[in-house]
Amino acid sequence: MKKVEELSFPDGILYYKEHTWAKKEGGLIRVGITDYAQDQLGDIIFIELPVIGDEFATGNEFGSAESPKTVSSLYMPVGGIIESVNNKLEGSPDLVNSDPYGAGWMIMVKPYDLSKLAGLLSSDGYVSFLKE
Amino acid sequence: MSMTLFTSTGCLRCKIVKRFMEERGLAYEEKDIKADGREAFQKFYTANRKSVYRGPEGIEFPVFFDGVEIRQGLGAVIAYLHSGKKLDGLVSVGTLHKEWVDGLHVSGGDPAHAQEFLSVLRYLKGNNMKLRVDTNGKNSHILRQVFDEGLASQVVMDVVGPINLYGLILGETVDAHDIKESIALIPRFSEYRFETTVAPLIDQLGKVRYMTPREVAEAARLIEESTGSKKHPYLILSFRPEKAADPLFKALMPITPQELLAYRTAAREYLVFADIEK
Repeated sequence: MKKVEELSFPDGILYYKEHTWAKKEGGLIRVGITDYAQDQLGDIIFIELPVIGDEFATGNEFGSAESPKTVSSLYMPVGGIIESVNNKLEGSPDLVNSDPYGAGWMIMVKPYDLSKLAGLLSSDGYVSFLKE
Repeated sequence: MSMTLFTSTGCLRCKIVKRFMEERGLAYEEKDIKADGREAFQKFYTANRKSVYRGPEGIEFPVFFDGVEIRQGLGAVIAYLHSGKKLDGLVSVGTLHKEWVDGLHVSGGDPAHAQEFLSVLRYLKGNNMKLRVDTNGKNSHILRQVFDEGLASQVVMDVVGPINLYGLILGETVDAHDIKESIALIPRFSEYRFETTVAPLIDQLGKVRYMTPREVAEAARLIEESTGSKKHPYLILSFRPEKAADPLFKALMPITPQELLAYRTAAREYLVFADIEK
């Protein structure tokens, strides 16, 4: 596993303490897991995602990511309704390892309240959180 | 039927299985999940996820698949390659690692296959593995052979209850002499432990209840009388209702650590080192 300094936490994305990220795209939020999370998991072999129309509150589990060494729950950075899921992850879960902020995105969410994004961490804030 | 062995680079247990297969001329395809086998394993896992066992440290490797059966871990894969499904119950996937192999259950399967079971143990021991064998007392003749050949580095005996409840708890007829023979043999192993799980049972009135502290004490007394000694490592374990297959038992409230203390006090009348799991 890599040191925090070796991992990537782009600006322009917000971060949740349970290692998911959120990116505002119009009235929706794109969600995935951070580079730290995918590094901790190791080679991801399965992603379990919700179905369109499911609803989850902030902090609730929306799915899971599985590697040979562990199964990790995935948590909502902001509560809302699932608008779409990344179906490519079914055949290629390794996209989460190789491109966690791009092709490895997981769900699109219609948030209950967009203003709740203000409660998430910036890139610097998340790095500080990881180093605590 | 083609055979696939999913391995992980540097996995010693995987090497032992490969050697076993090569010694017997069994054709197989190896897929190293840390190398070029990653994608193949991901596809296999997606298709068979519910059947793949995960221990406390993740998926147990090697993972063997012949198109029908999945077997995992050193002991279980060797047993299946050696004897097919005959050794199911006697050998299952273990959770210990490094030089240890567990999942070896003297009482777990058909004793008619004892010699094949012992052959598997000999092979594992011959590859410098340390074997942890467990028993509930049934099949003392197999345990005797394990002892005579020095096959086990550690033995754990689950003394399920006092003799009068043994059959009720196991759900089958038991031979009391067989159980007592096993108990008497256990302390002769270099490393051993007795255990009793405070198990639930359905009593003669049809009521679901846990064994009482007095009943666990009677299990301890059975050990004392069968061995002639009060000084044995003896662990009292809580039953895990969430893991029960029977819905009646699943609905039970777990026994608390505080409640377990009464069991320990009762058992210490007969076994002075009785303790509870932490």
